Amino acid sequence: MIKLEAIIQPSRFESVKDALCEIGIEGMTVTEVRGHGRQKGHTEVYRGREYTVDLLPKIKLELVLPDKMVDKAVDTILKTAKTGKIGDGKIFLTRVDDAIRIRNEERGENALQ
Amino acid sequence: MSFAARPGPDRASDAHNDPRPRPSRDMQGSVTPLSILGPQVEAQRQRIREEFEAGASARETLQALCAMADGNLQQIFAQLLSGRGVESQGLCLLALGGYGRQLLFPYSDLDILFLFGSDKAERDFRPLISEFSKTLWDMGFRVSSAGRTLEECKRIEEDNAEFHLALLDRRFLTGDRELFERLDSKVLPGPEKQARPFLSAELRKLTRERLTRYGNTIFHLEPNVKESPGGLRDYQAATWLRRVSGEKQEFWNSTAAEEEMAAAAVDFLSAIRCFLHYSNERNDNTLTYELQAKAAERALGLPVTAVLDAQRSPAEWMRVYFRQARTLNRQLLRYIEQKSAGQQSLRQRIFNATRVPKIEAVNRTPFAVRDGLLEVMDQTALADRALLFSLFATAAKTGVPLSREAERTIAYVMLHPELPVRNAEITWPAFQEILASDFPGVALRPMQRLGLLTKILPEFAAIDSLVVRDFYHRYTVDEHTLRTIEHLQELASPPDSRGTNFSVLWKMVDRRDLLILSLLLHDVGKGMAADNHVSGSLTALESAAARLQLSPEEKGEVRFLIERHLDMSATVQRRDIFDPTTVSGFASVVQTPERLQRLCLLTYADIRAVNPEALTPWKAEMLWQLFVSTSNHFSRTLDRDRLHALDEVPVLQQVRKLTGSAGTEDIERFLEGFPRRYLAVHSAPDIAAHFSLYQKLGADPVQIDLVAKQRAYSLTLLTADRPALFATIAGALAGWGMNIMHADAFANAAGVVLDTFHFTDLHRTLELNPSEVDRFCKSLVDVIRGKAPLEVLLKSRESASRTRAPKVEVPTRITFDDASSMHSTLLEIVTQDHPGLLHEIGSALARLDCNIEVALVDTEGQKAIDVFYLTSQHKKLGSQKQETLRESLQGALS
Repeated sequence: MIKLEAIIQPSRFESVKDALCEIGIEGMTVTEVRGHGRQKGHTEVYRGREYTVDLLPKIKLELVLPDKMVDKAVDTILKTAKTGKIGDGKIFLTRVDDAIRIRNEERGENALQ
Repeated sequence: MSFAARPGPDRASDAHNDPRPRPSRDMQGSVTPLSILGPQVEAQRQRIREEFEAGASARETLQALCAMADGNLQQIFAQLLSGRGVESQGLCLLALGGYGRQLLFPYSDLDILFLFGSDKAERDFRPLISEFSKTLWDMGFRVSSAGRTLEECKRIEEDNAEFHLALLDRRFLTGDRELFERLDSKVLPGPEKQARPFLSAELRKLTRERLTRYGNTIFHLEPNVKESPGGLRDYQAATWLRRVSGEKQEFWNSTAAEEEMAAAAVDFLSAIRCFLHYSNERNDNTLTYELQAKAAERALGLPVTAVLDAQRSPAEWMRVYFRQARTLNRQLLRYIEQKSAGQQSLRQRIFNATRVPKIEAVNRTPFAVRDGLLEVMDQTALADRALLFSLFATAAKTGVPLSREAERTIAYVMLHPELPVRNAEITWPAFQEILASDFPGVALRPMQRLGLLTKILPEFAAIDSLVVRDFYHRYTVDEHTLRTIEHLQELASPPDSRGTNFSVLWKMVDRRDLLILSLLLHDVGKGMAADNHVSGSLTALESAAARLQLSPEEKGEVRFLIERHLDMSATVQRRDIFDPTTVSGFASVVQTPERLQRLCLLTYADIRAVNPEALTPWKAEMLWQLFVSTSNHFSRTLDRDRLHALDEVPVLQQVRKLTGSAGTEDIERFLEGFPRRYLAVHSAPDIAAHFSLYQKLGADPVQIDLVAKQRAYSLTLLTADRPALFATIAGALAGWGMNIMHADAFANAAGVVLDTFHFTDLHRTLELNPSEVDRFCKSLVDVIRGKAPLEVLLKSRESASRTRAPKVEVPTRITFDDASSMHSTLLEIVTQDHPGLLHEIGSALARLDCNIEVALVDTEGQKAIDVFYLTSQHKKLGSQKQETLRESLQGALS
């Protein structure tokens, strides 16, 4: 099993979510986050006050997937989250030892379904 | 209510509070085996449940459950005593709380007190009590028990008010009756009387905490029928408040009809709670969507004869629920406000005896403020509905809420019109006064409770107590709507960081009345049969606007806000708000900065009122970012979009219609080349009036029009452009002591300047001396035409108006922007506002030969925010010129 974490543009979230649903991935955890990589923030002035946005708003998706689904999920996210501009985000993959469904204590990939 | 966790005196029950199921076993001694008792009890429970399902009332069901528990408990206790060969002397069992009141719900705990005559009795009976409690658990009774000696009951435990409140409902169950009589008639009455102020204060505190936990509203989509506001706990708390006050029945001033309504509400809610327990097979009191549908289907709690098909729909059945919940909640809140001498400590009573209650009359009206609440001092005066509405207007302006008693008086007056009603219809200006105030929610909330809001806006009735199933929304649609308005009014002093940025907007937003009216109507469509709720709300606006006689411009603004109320939120969530294309696209939808402000506030409030967590700091920041970007887009692109009159056929037609004989070509010539903002901020009648002035320019080259508004004046001036014109007008206004709040300066392609100044009359010169109005207008014209020297006017004002030191220091900030406009250099000045400021800036610009193409002047408290589009000899300003201008301005403004 692989844990997939994707940091994406908030404006792409709905499309990414719908595309993942279409390939059969419905379970995910979504978090509103702030941060920056190469895309630095910027400053706006409104009525004499400076508003500096140095940590930009992003959406973090977290999914744990059976190994066989990982490539498909990554491709889907790449296709739907990409705008080609700086700030499109990143995908991180890490191996997961086990998963346990709390309701019935199922383990492993069975717990993911 | 559980007392088991409390250490110390609860020790007798410590050993048997484990609620885990135990394996069935026979009891020790010569008692009826559990294997026989258990099924018997289960059969009794089943019979009671079947009777409830067959139509037995909640009261009958609760009493049957109570009698069943009593019987079994007495039997087991007797058998245990007999099996051990001991008497009950020195020990008795008391039922407390709901069980004490003989209102035992199917899966509720049995609240029991073991009362011991002495410490020795407690020690001796401990094994028996342990066995007794275990047996009850095994028979499926959930026991929540406490143990006290008679001596311990003499003390009021200040950290355990809940126990003492439950003890008020004590009832003898079994055991040593003489011991109970001693407790009931000798031991407790003294301490309980002495503890009244303490119990009253604690009960109020616990109640407020509970109500706050549930957002202080009955209107939850999935309410808890026991604990939510309007739940059964409200009734119990009201009953306890009456008991601990020690006051007679008359003190509470409840009518027989009110008592009957409360009793009916308790019956209704009790039926629901029984239904929930049986449906969930546990003590779960949440009325979920699924169970709402089931309850509605069987018309639960409704009299058989009164069941209409409509009430079988979950939404209609829930409306009945909220009506009943409102009865209980209203009664409780009125009792909480009511203070009796018995609830005060001795010290408070001595202090209060020396002090006359503070009553402040409200401006020759039949109202007064007492203890921070508005009271009605003369009930008969309310026959004049204009006075009644003025009470709400006072609440909206001051933020002082109506007392519950005042609401009750109004409700009585409305239901019993013994006196002939005068001024029954509320007019739009009167309603506007409420909506435009700083605290509109303080008035609208009681107006809704009293049915007055639906008298003014019958469209609102469509969402009255309306449950719409939604994953995110927590409240009914009407509650959500009122919360949006309350979230806006709290921006005067934002409760947390999410509101900080928006606070500025709330304080400065134009036409707050239209914003609040839009909020009142924005979700009304959810209660209408419409394709989508927005189109329903727009239909509702049509009828409301016709009835209230809104002007076409007012209706257009409200229409825009309702129609687009989801746009800003959707843009924030689904578009890249850092992309300039998104910002310009959004700006083209919104069209004006004024609308943007209203839409932004509406969006903030709409998200925030979904549930307490819906507007995360993340979302609030995104929303603000879009607002700032769009606002800046407006001020930086003003001269990018110029009017081409031929493209504006509808406007041309409207203006032509309004001006009668005017030729289309003349109107086209007038409009050609104005910034597009001119059309966005002026209505067709405004434009027609401007055009009329324009037509007179041939006869008199300076045309002015002065209009007195509510708290300010609006001056429109048309003339041919000339050097230092803006500075001259600003100087003349300053010379008369006028404080300019906003100003626009536009020029058309033919070089005709149209300036609009909104100013306040600092010294009330025009208001107190109407004859001065003509002299003022003539003076302006003379100064502009060069017939009168400006310096003399300014000099005479200088000595009269030495400015006071500002309360807030605003540092001067001067910014040039060459990129935003194709033709002009943008100059933005943020500085300390003071009379004559605009004249100083205008003069500095004129001295350096800078021509003002467009000007946007605004103030925010003591801060002036001015944007000028400048050219010099028809070109942008060079960098050298910008530096010279910066130095000149800094010198003038320092």
